Amino acid sequence: MRILLVEDDKETSAYLRAGLQEEGFLVTCAFNGREGLFLASTSDFDLLIVDRMLPQLDGLSLVRTLRSGHVETPVLFLTTMSGVDDRVTGLNAGGDDYLVKPFAFSELVARVNALLRRPRGLSEQTLYRVADLELDLISRSVKRAGVEITLQAREYRLLEYLMRHAGEVVTRTMLLEKVWDYHFDPQTNVVESQLSRLRNKIDRGFPHELIHTIRGAGYTLRAPS
Amino acid sequence: MNSSTRYAAPATRFVRRPRFTRTASFRLTLFHAGLFAVAGLVLFGMIYWAATDFAARDEAQEIELEIALVEEEMRLLGVDRLPEIIDTHLQRREDVRAVYLLQDAEGRKITGNIDARTPVLGATVVDVDFDGEIRNVRAQGHRLANGQYLLVGQDAHILREMEETLLQSFGVGLVFVLLAMILGGGYIGARYVARVGAISRTARAIVGGDMTSRALITGRGDEFDDLAMSLNAMLDRIDELMRSMRQISNDVAHDLRTPLTRFRQRLELANRHAHTVEDYRSTIGVAIADVDSILETFGALLRIAQIEGGEQPMPSAAIDLSALVRTVAEDFAPAAEDQGHVLTTDVENGVAIAGDPRLITQLLVNLIDNAIRHTPAGTNIALQVRLDRDRPVLAVADTGPGIPSAEMGNVLKPFYRLEASRTTEGSGLGLNLVAAIAKQHRAELKLSSIAPGLLVEVVFPKSQANSVGRVARSSAAAQ
Repeated sequence: MRILLVEDDKETSAYLRAGLQEEGFLVTCAFNGREGLFLASTSDFDLLIVDRMLPQLDGLSLVRTLRSGHVETPVLFLTTMSGVDDRVTGLNAGGDDYLVKPFAFSELVARVNALLRRPRGLSEQTLYRVADLELDLISRSVKRAGVEITLQAREYRLLEYLMRHAGEVVTRTMLLEKVWDYHFDPQTNVVESQLSRLRNKIDRGFPHELIHTIRGAGYTLRAPS
Repeated sequence: MNSSTRYAAPATRFVRRPRFTRTASFRLTLFHAGLFAVAGLVLFGMIYWAATDFAARDEAQEIELEIALVEEEMRLLGVDRLPEIIDTHLQRREDVRAVYLLQDAEGRKITGNIDARTPVLGATVVDVDFDGEIRNVRAQGHRLANGQYLLVGQDAHILREMEETLLQSFGVGLVFVLLAMILGGGYIGARYVARVGAISRTARAIVGGDMTSRALITGRGDEFDDLAMSLNAMLDRIDELMRSMRQISNDVAHDLRTPLTRFRQRLELANRHAHTVEDYRSTIGVAIADVDSILETFGALLRIAQIEGGEQPMPSAAIDLSALVRTVAEDFAPAAEDQGHVLTTDVENGVAIAGDPRLITQLLVNLIDNAIRHTPAGTNIALQVRLDRDRPVLAVADTGPGIPSAEMGNVLKPFYRLEASRTTEGSGLGLNLVAAIAKQHRAELKLSSIAPGLLVEVVFPKSQANSVGRVARSSAAAQ
């Protein structure tokens, strides 16, 4: 998997490159907007990581230009601007996700993986299955080992997100953003409490747990190996 | 002079000291004087015209009377005595510079004090030489029954004297009035210049660094006092803002010292005593947590600054407050329960407000966070949405220890923490963020003690909420 990292701060760039390479990605670095645009439009990447503030050509314009030239490579914006409006402009410009600095490296990796595995251009899947757990988007029903499980609205959305990203690590922040639409961090353990309730409903009494906690990173839903 | 707050002196003076002739009041005076002069001239013209017209008619009557007299005497004494009669009249009326001329049908002068001339009948004006002084004299020509021509006239002396008197008195009057106006205008202008000057001196003093300088209020209650008061109010507000800015920077610096010191100590300790990789690992883990808490503080400050920055206008989208509160309550109920709290809701249906749903969510989440974190297990947390005299109210009440009344005013200060919660995690900025969001939504934030516990109420403004309320209610019903 080839990633283009467009980041002007040399230290951050080197740190992210090393980390991503450790995770098995091929990383190319660009240090300003023009260079980034040139590389992104001439070679084939699977993902672009673009800083919003760049010399010569800012990240927003870079992505807008790419999108107007029908380059549909997924884009993850990095930024120090955390306002709701900044996020919205970033996503409107053609970004696929938005990560506010400073962030934990595990957070970046989780998001990179989520973007790389996002099915692009495929027709929407309506039935998800992990081991003996089934989630039907049309009837909004959940079954484990053929037995119907009743979930509350938020529990359902949480499970849906986990199922869509089955096998990937999803972080607490990702869950807050995507499931709760909270773009801030509540002091209360909303995610943990909700997850433990979900676990009670889908994992309790079964020989294999499907929802796993990855220490220091987040959660994952996966079939027992 | 407060020398500690001295700022760089500006390179150019921002107010040019006005020269007197450049002042607005001087120009106003000049304008008024001109206007008055024109009005005076018009008035004078009308008086002059009326007076001279009257005098002219008076004199014409006098001449007609004279002719009638001469004719009457002529009828009594006979036509032959006419030159004699005229001479008598001439003598009698020497003082009014009367003019008489009697000439025969052939145009030869019989008697009179002017030369023979071509007869003109009716009113006429003749030039007469009175001792070298040529005068226009009004006269009446008259053909007598025997064919003789009689011209009677008199120098219009009343008219002339009247004209002179009028012109003189008006001229003198006008000069006096204009003089008074310019002097008065000058005086008023000078006073205006002085008072405006005082205000700009104040402004210059402040630019020069003396933030304590204030414009003088004379107590006359005039527009200058008004201006000075507005200016002073503005300066007070700026001063207050600067103070609070300084206070916040102090607080930020102070509040960050504690975690940074802790952070440093931990690293130092690890540097000296850590031996195994595991030791280092655990130190680094805790150090990252320390840094995260510092970053959290910065994040909260940034958010508050963004909201208070006022760049965003008052959010205008209608949101269903009732639905929003129900959703958040559902999301928090499990977490509250896990910590031994009971979260209850009492939500009136279809209450809508104009606002930003994400910010309102954050406001509510912060209030619930506070209630959960600062109260012991077993505490009841009640969320309420209601309309209070058409104003939407969002209330969060808990049955915890509450806030001592003496501390009530302090909890909205940045970084302020009650003694009891010093050790609790958090930035100490939660309520500040709530206050900032409430302010942006023109909502009132009220904290009050209830026995036992704390009641926080956010009272949203009425007007928009009402109209929006109906719409949302009907759309909520449709769903």
